[in-house]
Amino acid sequence: MFKLAVDSTIGDVVVKTTEHRGLTPEELAERAVEQIVSVSSSVDPIVRQQAEAFKNRIYHVVLGIIKQAIKSDRTTLVNEFIQQGHSDVADILRRL
Amino acid sequence: MAITTAMATSFKSELLQGIHNFHNGSGGGTTTTTGTGNTFKIALYTSSATMSASTTAYATTNEVSGTGYTAAGNTLTNVDPTTSGTTALTDFADSTWSSSSITARGALIYNSSTTAGSANRAVAILDFGADKTSTSGDFTIQFPAADASNAIIRIA
Repeated sequence: MFKLAVDSTIGDVVVKTTEHRGLTPEELAERAVEQIVSVSSSVDPIVRQQAEAFKNRIYHVVLGIIKQAIKSDRTTLVNEFIQQGHSDVADILRRL
Repeated sequence: MAITTAMATSFKSELLQGIHNFHNGSGGGTTTTTGTGNTFKIALYTSSATMSASTTAYATTNEVSGTGYTAAGNTLTNVDPTTSGTTALTDFADSTWSSSSITARGALIYNSSTTAGSANRAVAILDFGADKTSTSGDFTIQFPAADASNAIIRIA
């Protein structure tokens, strides 16, 4: 007699919420790193140390790019508002 | 009234019937004449909802309402199914309701394709463990790492 067992499972999600703001570049960079690098809890301590150093490096690279993207998008928006005759809104955005 | 994290029992049966296709975009499936992957959505529910493995389809009863939330929820971005060792798994990109003011206790992932047989069929029920609230902010659902031990949907 043949017996075949198949186990189907669902993973755990995490819910992040904010009040009167969006997610910060730091929070987003942390999330990006979680998705790019994962370190097994059973890995050799030396390898773990190297992996954590790599994670930290990736975090700062991603964080820098996110901040740059925000600034770049704001520049685009500021110019769009100026062209549409909303200099007051453009000024608010510029000061953020 | 309670929401219990589970994979819908009906979904398991429907997998064996070839009703769901998690492929992103064209190809990889046979549930439609074009072989295009199905569209999956995630809807949020209040703590008044009752959902468990016996949930079979999307319903509007006790679905969240609030600024920034549209009934039926967000469309998910599928990540093509893959394998890791002897485990098959699929994943979704994180989903966010921006500039929202909502409170939710759980969620339902369901197949929103209009293909006969798969329309609005439940996939998984998620319990957040407590009410989660966004106030003029982001409400983000972060899916677990897409690996054999953590992925949102796994068949081992």
